[in-house]
Amino acid sequence: MAKNAAQWDSPPTFPQTHFVDSRVYTDDAIFEEEKEKLFRPSWIIACHESEIEAPFDYRLFNHPAGVPLIVVRGDDKKVRAFYNICPHRGNTILYDPAGNAKRMTCIFHQWSFDTRGNCVDISREEQGYQKRFCKADAALREVKCEVAFGGFVWINITDNCMPLREFIGGAMDILEPYMEEPMEVFHFHKARVRTNFKLWHDTNSEFYHDFLHYFNRITGMLQPGYYERRYTPFANGHATVGSMQIQYDKYEGSKERAVGWPKMAVGGWYMVDIFPGMTYNLRTSVLRIDTAIPLGPNEVLIEFRGLGLKRDTKEERKQRVFDHNMIWGPFGRNLHEDLLAVHGQGRAMHEGTGSRWVLQGREENSTIHDEVGMRHYYAEWSRRMGRPAYDPCREGKSEPVRAAA
Amino acid sequence: MQSEQRYAIEELIYRSCLALDAKDYTAFLALCDADFHYAITTYSPELRREQVWLDHDRGGMQTLFTNLPRHNSDHSPITRHATVYTVEPGTDSEVNVVSALQVFRTQLDGGATELFAVGRLHDTVRLNEDGAKLARRTVRLETRQLGYGYHVPF
Repeated sequence: MAKNAAQWDSPPTFPQTHFVDSRVYTDDAIFEEEKEKLFRPSWIIACHESEIEAPFDYRLFNHPAGVPLIVVRGDDKKVRAFYNICPHRGNTILYDPAGNAKRMTCIFHQWSFDTRGNCVDISREEQGYQKRFCKADAALREVKCEVAFGGFVWINITDNCMPLREFIGGAMDILEPYMEEPMEVFHFHKARVRTNFKLWHDTNSEFYHDFLHYFNRITGMLQPGYYERRYTPFANGHATVGSMQIQYDKYEGSKERAVGWPKMAVGGWYMVDIFPGMTYNLRTSVLRIDTAIPLGPNEVLIEFRGLGLKRDTKEERKQRVFDHNMIWGPFGRNLHEDLLAVHGQGRAMHEGTGSRWVLQGREENSTIHDEVGMRHYYAEWSRRMGRPAYDPCREGKSEPVRAAA
Repeated sequence: MQSEQRYAIEELIYRSCLALDAKDYTAFLALCDADFHYAITTYSPELRREQVWLDHDRGGMQTLFTNLPRHNSDHSPITRHATVYTVEPGTDSEVNVVSALQVFRTQLDGGATELFAVGRLHDTVRLNEDGAKLARRTVRLETRQLGYGYHVPF
């Protein structure tokens, strides 16, 4: 029987850890608080080392908390990150999303900076500032930056943040054996979708939605071992999903992914979800990385990367690109389905629609259709935000994020 | 080039758009030669490298079209607007054709239309006794943000 208003608004009969109030996806104030409490203290993937391979190569990245950043490889080959904001008049320093710049020069008044963040030129410095201000006073704002976990450039804009290794904990142990060889990004695109960033991460945190994907039903769900895949939660909101043997040749037009991946069984598939909005997704023969950059409570920009091995032959790389595009490219079978699904959630769930609860109640001994990955995420969300996700609008006090340090 | 040939080439390009707009994949493949090859490419300023987003021979395109109804897709129709810019001689009986391409998407609910993508069609057209056939098509996209995307090739 259909529900009336009171029934629709009543909390689900699950334990309170097994559902969330849909206002966590729609409320403006909650979103602003998330930027401060979830994103600002967290380590975020800005790019991959292969995107800034040579000295003076740089890459721009808009941090989810809103800060525009430059990631640049120095003359000493060290990767550093700075605000892409000129300390003079607050202008953008670099405009192109990537390039090579021995000097990073603001076009406005030609103040110039080196790749270590030092100001190396102020136009007509002495005439204007005499001895009151000099280049040493005009350095760029540097943020923490490390290259780790497969050669990705991780940045943290909070100076007293917990160390990256501590933030990740053991979550990457499942993948590290497969990321020992140098990799290279061959695919990059962004998708801007009218939905909440957590809804994208939710989708990466549960496999029950394999029902959405014909490709996954044919190659995975109907194959042996599918229901044995398990979730493992880790501290700080991360989670992993164990592998199985995907039968790629069961889908017409696809075939066994013979190009393979070092040390990985044919058809293997591992996932690591990193709080608050990143996912490593390693399917033979491609690593995909998602980075969610929230733009508002109901809008997210997702950066998608596809990686192969740096040592790939031309033929191997072509096959990896084909494998990637089959399901994960902008015209791929699965990506459009996933994006369409979260777009649909955004349609149904923005402010004022009457959406009330989102269920995360499936318990299957932490196997593939269990929703423990989402529950684990919202436990961390609740810890950081200082109140439970099932009651997000009540007053609360968040736990300091450095508490685990 | 004779004006009749130019007309036949332009009509081939436009008919290929009409067939794909109508999701009449049989009609589209009928415009393609036996060794037809299709690709979608773009340049990424972020990576500073070329990217291939789709790459199929005729058989691959046939399989793609066969599979699409099995998937969940956006049902909003898209409309391809092509304008043939240049037609230049290629090798033997082939000519190289460059066309501007704009793709518009119209929402089913209410019929609002938005610009979806811009780019160019780089076609190789083969002229033989049967008329003009598509031998190769590379859709060269300028647009790289496609929102929640689309399953049907441009």
